[in-house]
Amino acid sequence: MPEENMQCFKTLEYLKNSYGERIHQISDERKSGKKLVGTFCLFVPDEIIFAAGADRVILCGGKNDTVSIAEQYLPRNICPLVKSSFGSIVNDGCSGIKSCSHFSMVDMIVAENTCDSKKKMYELLGDYVPTYVIDLPQRPDTPEALKYFLSELEKFRDAMEQLTGNKVTTEGLRQEIRSSNETRQLLHRLYELRKRDPSPISGADVLKILQKQYFLSPDKLKEYLQMLINEVGSVEPGQVHKPRIMISGCPMPGGNTKVTEMIESKGGVIVTEESCTGTRSFWDLVDENKEPMTALAERYIKIPCSCMSPNDRRIDNILELAREFRIDGVIYYTLQFCHGYNIEKQKVQKALKEAGIPMLSIETDYSDSDVEQIGLRIDAFMEMIS
Amino acid sequence: MISVGIDAGSATTKAVLVKDDSSIIQSIRSTEFDFVSAAEKAYEDVLEIAGIDRKEVDHVYSTGYGRNSIKFADGSISEITAHAKGVHHLYPDVEGIIDIGGQDSKVISVNKGKVTDFLMNDKCAAGTGKFVEYTARALEVPIEELAKMALASKSPAGISSMCTVFAESEVISLRAKGYSKEDIAAGIIESIARRVAVMARQIGLKRNVAFVGGVAKNAAIKAALEKELGISLYVLPEPQITGALGAALHGSN
Repeated sequence: MPEENMQCFKTLEYLKNSYGERIHQISDERKSGKKLVGTFCLFVPDEIIFAAGADRVILCGGKNDTVSIAEQYLPRNICPLVKSSFGSIVNDGCSGIKSCSHFSMVDMIVAENTCDSKKKMYELLGDYVPTYVIDLPQRPDTPEALKYFLSELEKFRDAMEQLTGNKVTTEGLRQEIRSSNETRQLLHRLYELRKRDPSPISGADVLKILQKQYFLSPDKLKEYLQMLINEVGSVEPGQVHKPRIMISGCPMPGGNTKVTEMIESKGGVIVTEESCTGTRSFWDLVDENKEPMTALAERYIKIPCSCMSPNDRRIDNILELAREFRIDGVIYYTLQFCHGYNIEKQKVQKALKEAGIPMLSIETDYSDSDVEQIGLRIDAFMEMIS
Repeated sequence: MISVGIDAGSATTKAVLVKDDSSIIQSIRSTEFDFVSAAEKAYEDVLEIAGIDRKEVDHVYSTGYGRNSIKFADGSISEITAHAKGVHHLYPDVEGIIDIGGQDSKVISVNKGKVTDFLMNDKCAAGTGKFVEYTARALEVPIEELAKMALASKSPAGISSMCTVFAESEVISLRAKGYSKEDIAAGIIESIARRVAVMARQIGLKRNVAFVGGVAKNAAIKAALEKELGISLYVLPEPQITGALGAALHGSN
């Protein structure tokens, strides 16, 4: 049935070329003396990097093939995201495995103290690339935490000034905050369209653009988002209801589309993702009326990452998203050995049960070894909620 | 209405033919290497027993790990849904199902034949038929005798490894320490029961629980699970066919 098929969006065709174009752009920038910063996490404010006149690319690995490189240095039983990222960065090409080119182009890594595996990986990465770490208070709801985080962001701002030789001005920050808020608002508009039933765009298609959110330049990203919103907005309303799925849990960095594709090939449609490659990255805006550094600290400290404790904000957020997006079922997606999200599952499960929303839990890595087992769980879950 | 369900499992392939929702004809075969040929043969078995020609069959539905490779089926459903439908047909009061199969174990919560929640074991052999098979081998005991032996034990040996390979070496070291075969056998059985009971408790199986799958034929595991969960389990007369039966019923609805 043709109506079963999702639309093919031209924007996503153009997006295929964006990797090569971006690599050209950052090589040219570096030749002209612009610094390139590599980041891993939503807790690192883009606004400060851009206000210092540097550019940034995300270094989170989603590919399975660089995991084996990392395993020469890191324990086998840590999360695949950490292993894939580390493997991509330290890869010297001797094993015949290729990393994506941007991993070797950064002048500095800006890391953050979130989970233990990442913290310890950053210590090792320092031997390969200059690595700056922003410390995070992990009880986010106290005034002391905010004060401390602000001081960490100020130190980070100074480090960026030192790296680039440029001054970060209040006006510069305000401009970058406005620009980042524009991106966030565009993402809100895209997600608003997904509230339709049936959703005019698949989760796999949205993931394609979200995986590049912190890779592309902000201008280019906005251009793609605007184009995509125009296209998705003009899709004829469909007739066939498919089970509306929310993904909640770990991020799905570039190269990792396994579970998303499986869910949608088995009849569901993902309409929102409570994850770092989803709503967590753009849901809250930065207050444009406040002193910029304070406004940034206030906005970023509220990101409901499972490294925070307590993290009830995340549970409230999940329930709110489930209501807004009229979710039929939640797929709780975690990466193996991601203790934070794996343990927090208990709280999410309890809250969803009380709200009468079915949840399926999937714990996986980047390999294809468990495709059959996961497939069976998803089949059964779809049969259960249909 | 004639409907056939085929459960292409990892160890055995089951076919069930249902005529007008009542008379049930079944065949159980070893899966061996070729899922498709095992399914084909089991299908022929039930047709022959029933004296029915292929053309008279209204629907064929498949389930089990090989469900998507059975090309002659009209469609497929997951084992989880299939077990719920099949068990509900034979045991209408069912509220929970424990299924221990060749390579996985599942617990399913059921309301009026519909799945309301389920859990499956992790992607290793702990808590599955394979675990019993391997550890019985390390004990040099045919798997059929393991249950009888275990039931004769007064103080089961403790086996703590969840990993099948490590549990096998644990069995060997218990042998070296001079534990009796009976106590080690009982230890193996307790270990798998503990593993599965954890899942059953997680989804809150409390009453009217059916025990299905090939391992349900093992009286010692049933007893150990009952002790662990503090409830009695209902073992269907033929616990291996509920998946295939559910698939057949899915077709006839």
